[in-house]
Amino acid sequence: MNPRIKISLDEPARSYQPGDVLAGQFSLEGIAPEELRSVELSVLWHTEGKGEEDMSVHFFERLDSQNGEPFDGRQPRRFSTVLPNSPLTYGGFIVKICWCVRVRAFLARGKELSLEVPFRLGTVPNPRRVAT
Amino acid sequence: MAHFFRFYEKKRGDRRTGSQAFGNFGEALFFGIFFAVGCIAFVYMWVALVWPEWRANRQFGPATCVVVAKRPGVKPATANEPATYRPEIRIRYRVEDQQYIEDNVYDVTGLYSPDEHAVTATLDQFEVNKEYPCWYDPIDPHRVVLVRGYSGWLYLALLIPLSFLIIGGGRLVYALLDWNASAERRALMTQRAAQLDLFEVEAPDRNFPSVPADANLRNSPGTTLAYRLPIATTTGWTLFAASMACLLWNGIVAIFVVMAVGSFARGMPDWTLTALTIPFVIAGTGLVVYLIRQVLITTGVGPTRIEISEHPLAPGKGYDIFLSQAGRLAMNSLEVWLACEEKATYRQGTDTRTETRRVYEQRCFVRESFAIHQGLPFESRCQIRVPDDAMHSFYANHNQVIWRLIVKGKVVGWRDYERVFQIVVQPTVNGHGQS
Repeated sequence: MNPRIKISLDEPARSYQPGDVLAGQFSLEGIAPEELRSVELSVLWHTEGKGEEDMSVHFFERLDSQNGEPFDGRQPRRFSTVLPNSPLTYGGFIVKICWCVRVRAFLARGKELSLEVPFRLGTVPNPRRVAT
Repeated sequence: MAHFFRFYEKKRGDRRTGSQAFGNFGEALFFGIFFAVGCIAFVYMWVALVWPEWRANRQFGPATCVVVAKRPGVKPATANEPATYRPEIRIRYRVEDQQYIEDNVYDVTGLYSPDEHAVTATLDQFEVNKEYPCWYDPIDPHRVVLVRGYSGWLYLALLIPLSFLIIGGGRLVYALLDWNASAERRALMTQRAAQLDLFEVEAPDRNFPSVPADANLRNSPGTTLAYRLPIATTTGWTLFAASMACLLWNGIVAIFVVMAVGSFARGMPDWTLTALTIPFVIAGTGLVVYLIRQVLITTGVGPTRIEISEHPLAPGKGYDIFLSQAGRLAMNSLEVWLACEEKATYRQGTDTRTETRRVYEQRCFVRESFAIHQGLPFESRCQIRVPDDAMHSFYANHNQVIWRLIVKGKVVGWRDYERVFQIVVQPTVNGHGQS
């Protein structure tokens, strides 16, 4: 079985308002505990578009083996965080702000696996073109 | 090999296609070497120079010696370096009833100098068969000096290895911390470091991350409404730059003009120089005309003042605006616009470029064909309304969403002018904007 990450958010529409609780769970399939070094879960925004990428992490959790016991990623693990007031999701012409939940798994021999699930914060519509 | 490492990589700003691990290794190696060079040089300077000098000053015991012989010690010149000199004195002294005779004695550093005259002058201060004070090392009485003191330049030179140590060490620690860190972990470390900035004068509102702070926009009370907004564009710098360019260009051109005119005055006209100088004179005249226009615009169009009833702004809310335009002008029109722009900064090669795109604009006020009289500024009030679904102001290092109030003036017989006033729009929280 190919190793893969599963992320699911409790809100199927993946649309949130500032101050809402973002909750969900993630699991790692096809990865034995002894193969897994650590897992990082981040709730973050990053920019896309013409400019260099900016990124800010709102929520971060790192999970690794504790007391010699390897971390079993196959067991679904829940997470939740209260979303901030800003920045809101935005799809501009040259600046886009994208929110996502990202899980990154660090495997043995330096291998890395990651998956992100985008979600929407706020309801700002995309701007219309302005005649210049 | 190319399977493991990309020898050629595409790069745009911080986005690279190369191996992260290889990059980290290279960075750590580079700064590791930097650090090691600093360490070696610092230890050498400390052991060879600083420590002996300190011991000679603080730990060497006093004694009296007799100068037996003296001569200038010489290191012969090599292909790359000139000859260097040092006073070398043979002395006889007594420590705890034991007599010692030592050669080549002077200071503890044993450094040679290229100044032969200074060395000769030093040697002239000592006469053979006369007594002088000396200081010996209590651990090894064979080590003795005739002069003590600190070499000021020596401690200044220590700054060189110290800078290698600090820069190399700091970057090495950063590279090692960064080694296996994911992009998210690195971003988090940077965020936490930014939050520790004790000297940040205008800290952003923690309730609204990435929304610019507005303290600078609210620190000037208005005469009619709550706040007087600061102007974002200053004509002073444009005027200064234009003056400098005009002065520099015409100063250089003037030299060639004088040479060309001189050739005519001597009756030997230099036509080549004259022909080459004419285009530069035309360009210089253009610069003078531009400068005069800028001066006239700056002095002719008086100050523009904008006051606002509330700040920061929130989507869906209306605000009162007070506009004041001073000067002595015949206006074709005066307008106030509410605008929103996206601004993105990116690197292309070694250049940093900025692109802006206007995504919203609305004319809030217009007045046509009227005159403004000296000492009697034009004053008017209007309303602006931020759209319900507007994007809030956003600030990140390379990307921004900026809201502005723009005053556009069209003056009869003049160039149009524009004055910009930045404002901050905060996002709506639970149906209400917060201030």
